[in-house]
Amino acid sequence: MLRIESLSVTLGEFSVKDVSLEILPDEYFIILGPTGAGKTVLLETIAGIHTSNSGRIFLGDREITSIEPHLRNIGMVYQDYMLFPHLTVEENIAFGLRQKKIPRNEQRTRIEEISAVLEIGHLARRYPGSLSGGEQQRVALARALVMRPEILLLDEPMSALDTRTRDRMRMELSRIRKLTGTTIVQITHHLDDVFALADRIAIMREGRIVQAGETLDVFLHPCDTFVAEFLGIGNIIRGNSSRYGNLVQITTRNGPSFYAVSNILGDVVVTLHAEDVILSQAPFVSSARNCLYGSVSEIIPSGSTVRVILDVGFPLTALLTRESCRDLDLGPGSKVYATFKASAVHVIPVNQ
Amino acid sequence: MKRFSLTLTYITFFIISAVLLGLVLYTPLPALIESLASPEIRFAILLSLVTSVVSTFFCVIIAVPVAYALSRYQFVGKRVTTLALTLPLTLPPLVAGIALLLFFGTTPWGKALEQAGFTVIFTPLGIIVAEVFVNLPYMIRILRSAYTTINPRYEYVAKTLGCTDTSAFLQVTLPMARPGLITGSVITWSKAMGEFGAVLMLAGATTMRTETLPIALYLNISAGDLDLAVAAATILILISLVTLCVVEYFDRGVNVF
Repeated sequence: MLRIESLSVTLGEFSVKDVSLEILPDEYFIILGPTGAGKTVLLETIAGIHTSNSGRIFLGDREITSIEPHLRNIGMVYQDYMLFPHLTVEENIAFGLRQKKIPRNEQRTRIEEISAVLEIGHLARRYPGSLSGGEQQRVALARALVMRPEILLLDEPMSALDTRTRDRMRMELSRIRKLTGTTIVQITHHLDDVFALADRIAIMREGRIVQAGETLDVFLHPCDTFVAEFLGIGNIIRGNSSRYGNLVQITTRNGPSFYAVSNILGDVVVTLHAEDVILSQAPFVSSARNCLYGSVSEIIPSGSTVRVILDVGFPLTALLTRESCRDLDLGPGSKVYATFKASAVHVIPVNQ
Repeated sequence: MKRFSLTLTYITFFIISAVLLGLVLYTPLPALIESLASPEIRFAILLSLVTSVVSTFFCVIIAVPVAYALSRYQFVGKRVTTLALTLPLTLPPLVAGIALLLFFGTTPWGKALEQAGFTVIFTPLGIIVAEVFVNLPYMIRILRSAYTTINPRYEYVAKTLGCTDTSAFLQVTLPMARPGLITGSVITWSKAMGEFGAVLMLAGATTMRTETLPIALYLNISAGDLDLAVAAATILILISLVTLCVVEYFDRGVNVF
């Protein structure tokens, strides 16, 4: 769908260095990376805003490396939406159609269609300045989608929204994507976006892609300490969530089940920080709801702490001080109990 | 502090009002109307209006793209160019006027222009040239600061929606810079209406030929005809008042200096 070959771009202090990526048709691809990694420059270069120093970009079979942005048919939505403040919502959405000289009646039907999908029909005569963040977001998406782009680029589209609106927009994006079948490339800082939306992800650092692949793969097998620390999770476990009193019970495929504080049911990914896992030689009575039994498969020292990887039926990582590790007399094969609170488990619904 | 600063504010207000009202109320109303209707003042009003509108038009035409280049692009010699383009801001108009006079009167370029029929010295055309030269930097400066507040990403989005460079500018950035464009035009126009030094040097002060309102004021006060001078001054005060109101209304996010 979109193929990038050894792309390099320099733009002031930001740069993209030798980036190669392939994005598949209908894929939801997410690019993660710290601030200043060159993610936005990469996206804008795909859109044709900046010219590359070297490398090639293909959209379908067509090479677009040096094609003007207005001839590329790529949609773009920014974090701050960039709605034209001097135009009404309807004029904003019609903006691209008018540039392409689409006949008036077709303009009207396409605008009505996309407004219905995004539920913004009632905003048509309003100006962007009078809209809420979530509404602006929908209008910006409509303005891009009404052009039926071959690919839609989203630059941290949900960063400016409050948590609740963000959760709603995430569901919305997933729905829109299914409805329109658009290929999407998104930049984000939020791991929740990744699990809820992404088919595949790439991690970017200092202008380079350091790792790309299936979402869970990247999380479970970070290629270096940078990726591991950047993703900073410790534990990612796939499972199924069902109601259990006030809690939910997470059932894993091959391992034991455990409890979490959440309302989310169905297929989920749960995350658990390694420092929230307590190891002990015997089970102990506590307020923590979860206690799993397993054996140590690996001990990885890192500075004053050690990462202990357990096999409890699935891999579980605990972060300990060197002293604790010595006191517990841990080594590969040691049998231990892993205790953690139900409230330490973060449940994320999975895009089905 | 509060009492002191407020007192001083009121005192200053009264002094300024007294001075300006004293001028406006100097001539009785019938005499003022008679002066305003005199052929000389009517000529001066018309000449001032025509030259100031034409010179503002040229300032806008030049400043719209130039200010855009200064705000958006990096280019060789940008600092020097910016400095040179905005220097006339702090230059006394009299100095600008004499520089223009020498340029058009003594240099080969000036003489070539004159031979091509572009006679500037001591003509109404000279008024326009002087006004453009002195006021262009204001227009550039105001527009540049208006463009700078507009995120270039608006244009990026416009381009992904099918705009060329030029149409993205014309359909997005320029309309968004409208308050700056209006403020800049009104300031430029009002400064052109009141321009004296540069006009005096380049276009001279010839009665009923290069006699703009400020020149009329100057000529009549020199000749001792106080009524006509006050009539010209009254119109200039009104123009200042209108300008200030318009600028206050549109001056949102637009930094003049």
